[in-house]
Amino acid sequence: MSDFYLIYKNMTRKPLRLFLTCFAIFIAFLIFGAVTSLKSALNSSVELSADNRLVVFNRINFTQTLPIAYVQKVAAVDGVKNVTHLNWFGGYYQEPSRQVVSMAVDPESYLKVYEEIVVPEDQKQAWFNNRQGALVGEKLAEIYAWKIGDRIPLSSNIFTHNDGGYTWELVVSGIFKGDTEQYDTRQLLLHYKYFMETQTFGNDWIGWMALTTDDPAINETVAKTIDDNFANSQSETDTSTEKAFNKAFIEQIGNIGLIIFSVVFTAFFTILVVVGNTMALTIRERTGEIAVLKTLGFSSTRIFRMVLSESLLIAFVGGLSGLAAAWLLVEGVKTFLARFLPNLILGGDIALQAILFMLLLGLITGLMPAFQALRLNIVTAFNRQQ
Amino acid sequence: MGSLIAQVVSVTLMNLGSLRRRLWMSLAMVFASAVVVAILLAFLAMAKGFEATMSGAGSSQIAILMREGSSTELNSVILQDQVNLIAESAGVTRDANGPLVSPELYVIVDGIKKSTGTEANIPLRGLNKIGMAMRSNMHLVEGRMFTPGTNEMIVGEGVLREFDGFDIGKEVRFGKNLWTVVGAFSTGGNIFESELWADVKIIQSHYNRGSSYQSIRLQLENNGDLKPIEETVQREPRLNLEVQTEQEYFASQGKQLQYIATFGWIISAVMALGALAGALNTMYTSVADRAREIATLRALGFSNFSAFCGTIIEAMVLAATGGLLGSLAAYLFFDGLNTSTLGGSFTQVVFSFEMSPDLFVQGAVLALVIGFISGFFPAWRAARMPVVVAFRHAT
Repeated sequence: MSDFYLIYKNMTRKPLRLFLTCFAIFIAFLIFGAVTSLKSALNSSVELSADNRLVVFNRINFTQTLPIAYVQKVAAVDGVKNVTHLNWFGGYYQEPSRQVVSMAVDPESYLKVYEEIVVPEDQKQAWFNNRQGALVGEKLAEIYAWKIGDRIPLSSNIFTHNDGGYTWELVVSGIFKGDTEQYDTRQLLLHYKYFMETQTFGNDWIGWMALTTDDPAINETVAKTIDDNFANSQSETDTSTEKAFNKAFIEQIGNIGLIIFSVVFTAFFTILVVVGNTMALTIRERTGEIAVLKTLGFSSTRIFRMVLSESLLIAFVGGLSGLAAAWLLVEGVKTFLARFLPNLILGGDIALQAILFMLLLGLITGLMPAFQALRLNIVTAFNRQQ
Repeated sequence: MGSLIAQVVSVTLMNLGSLRRRLWMSLAMVFASAVVVAILLAFLAMAKGFEATMSGAGSSQIAILMREGSSTELNSVILQDQVNLIAESAGVTRDANGPLVSPELYVIVDGIKKSTGTEANIPLRGLNKIGMAMRSNMHLVEGRMFTPGTNEMIVGEGVLREFDGFDIGKEVRFGKNLWTVVGAFSTGGNIFESELWADVKIIQSHYNRGSSYQSIRLQLENNGDLKPIEETVQREPRLNLEVQTEQEYFASQGKQLQYIATFGWIISAVMALGALAGALNTMYTSVADRAREIATLRALGFSNFSAFCGTIIEAMVLAATGGLLGSLAAYLFFDGLNTSTLGGSFTQVVFSFEMSPDLFVQGAVLALVIGFISGFFPAWRAARMPVVVAFRHAT
């Protein structure tokens, strides 16, 4: 009779209890997996930003504009490798609720600053040469089934076309991919010049600038030089790394996120405590049997091992199935939530964290009873039974 | 009948009296129920607070007009001649000074959040006297009104609470322009308190807006009656505007945090399942421990029903205690907790968690349901087990 058979028999002697215990652990890890994935998806834009990319906004706020003349001045600053400018278009396709992340950009410099964008050479040239052309991200094109050469009407919820409407006619010149899986390609780029000439909001202003520096080490000096350049001018600037900007933007969602996550994690640990309590008690109930095993000649270490393996096994059966369910859930809602949370993945680091918690759960609930079993004096144990 | 009740009472008392012997088991049960209730209440209180802030702002007496398709004030653009056309429309209330129409600007500026020390978006609203009068619940709590034509502004109480540097008398710099805070206002806790207010003409000139605006608010002649305004908009091709009551507008803006309430319900429901499994386990174990006692009672002539009731009441008392503790914890930690988040217009909405009595009721119901279910099955088993079997197995 192998030890494993004994462990198995011990575990399944009360199937209902085993099921309930595993189920509670299952739920705890399901929630852990799902919520942690959500949290890391919220933070992912911070991790994906390039180290040497800076963004320059109007000091008042990022929704205020800058004069286009600033681009040349920034390009002249020492340490600036490439600089480009962007205008938020506020696009939507057919219905105001079907929003399209869209920006009016200067095509050539844009692709130099955003090197993550991968687009075939011929499509790139086609986009450069067609003023009505738009470069569309792969996932966005998938959503609306756009193909190269399609004419698409893109409306703006901010700007008015000089023909009186809100809709711009664009041609899909190219479809781009990201150099990594995580790069969010749910966006559309159109020509700045075409946009400027056809909108009615005045001329020659830009939303913000993005630039790359020669070396991440000089980021701070470059940022300071730029801001000093424009100090006391009509539009003062605020330059920061893209990373810092994204982080600040996420922080605007505020401590709400923090509150939610801390509430959920408290709950996770509480379930573990409740379950752990039952698991530990289950083993303590069997003091008498352990005494019998010892009398039969089972060594103390062998019993120690058996008790510990049992609680570890329960923790992992419940935990791993919960984690698997969380993975299925995340994969299932991924496409559905893709618009809001493009990077929703249950990654290896989250799984590792969860496995660590399972290990802890099994060890903590198993160690105490296992030690008691290890040190159990047969005579006292039998006496206690009466 | 009387003896049955007496039996139930004595079994229940016996069970409750012996709880201390099963201390850890009982505590686990209380704990499980407390956590589920606390989580549910935390989420609901957050959703409730946000909703109160949004919906409190909207009046059905006031219509708000924006460029069609723009969906928020921030995106919309409205020109002076459009304002003039609307002012002449039927359905607008007029007093001695003319129609009650308020063209407004909505600009975003940066403020430093007290909680994190980082920059966050605050709306700076430009409006005139008529617009001010239209917010009937607005009153100054400190200082004075801004003087039109100067760089003076008044700040909402929410901004004062959550952001640094807007105290009365302070000078605030947005880009090149220096503003002076001259007063603080309250609008009864709604979203307008998350804003800064200044003279609309000054903002037009400081932010190069020419004579354009972003939204028009107007007092309706008949409460909620948008018809005459809509007709004007349809007749006049220059008016590419969307008309809705302010109430509708804020209700739709408030929807986006609705997902927090939904998320909260889903998480609490799933958690409740987990906790329920834990609680059931506890009760099964606790009843199994006492199989011999219960069998003894029945052998002495106590009915199955009283054994059943005793167990189920025990479980419900434990769960209710947990629910009470959970509600209390949620109340202490979350009620009135001030926070702010990114709202529909890309700006900070300041609001407080609100723990209203109906939330406590929901929490109590949840606790009792947990108690009932986790008590029912073990109690059923205990009451049904033949006495002889119970004695044989209890060793």
